Amino acid sequence: MRFSLRSFALDPKLLAIGLGGGLLSGLLGVGGGVIMVPLLVLWAGYAQREAHAMSLGAIIPISMAGIATYGVAGEVRWWEAIALAAGSIVGAQTGARILTQIDERLLRVVFGIFLLGVAVLMGVRG
Amino acid sequence: MTGVPLYFALVGFGVVAGVASGLLGVGGGTVIVPFLTLAVGLSQHSAEATSLLVILPTAIAGSLALRSRGVGNLGLSLRFGVFGAAGSVLGALLALALPASTLRLVFAVFVGLVGLRLARDGIRGNRSPSD
Repeated sequence: MRFSLRSFALDPKLLAIGLGGGLLSGLLGVGGGVIMVPLLVLWAGYAQREAHAMSLGAIIPISMAGIATYGVAGEVRWWEAIALAAGSIVGAQTGARILTQIDERLLRVVFGIFLLGVAVLMGVRG
Repeated sequence: MTGVPLYFALVGFGVVAGVASGLLGVGGGTVIVPFLTLAVGLSQHSAEATSLLVILPTAIAGSLALRSRGVGNLGLSLRFGVFGAAGSVLGALLALALPASTLRLVFAVFVGLVGLRLARDGIRGNRSPSD
């Protein structure tokens, strides 16, 4: 089902998910999407596909804040960033195309496995 | 790895990270940072700063592609992302005062449990209320 998402413009849950997702992201050094997607699905009741799309859009201002507060502090490796971005800009469009077509149950399984991987990486890093 | 092979590897890994980002709605830093530290040999600080610069254009490219296909609501997600940006600055400041590594371990367990639940729901075919 597709929401008329405009009606959610002032949804306090969205505001809380944005704030909370960003807070945990800054506090723990994990990406906002890892937190926002589960909250959008399990708490705010968004369909799986819509939740992923909403999260990706929200990452735009969040990463801008990250660059402003952290990235410009230095130590950016420009050539490495450019090479990675050259690939990831192309990849993101492929990923977005897959997102529009993938079965939502399969998407949930893939994302669940991704989260398990994130948990292991976080546990290893400690 | 150095020189030309390094840059081929970076572009190739960028494609993989980009697909994950566009499909899963995540920035990609979760996979980019370990790649830059473990495979390329950057310091943690340098890898995180570099990763942030990659995430921004990736999220823009993925979001524009989704918008052109009518999935999501970019205007609304940008608006709630602004709250996320405020939260992340606050979180970064809090991290200086709190035992972040303990918090990370607690959170790792939480993320793992959420991952298990989503994977199990998907496999069993349970629907979220909105489906």
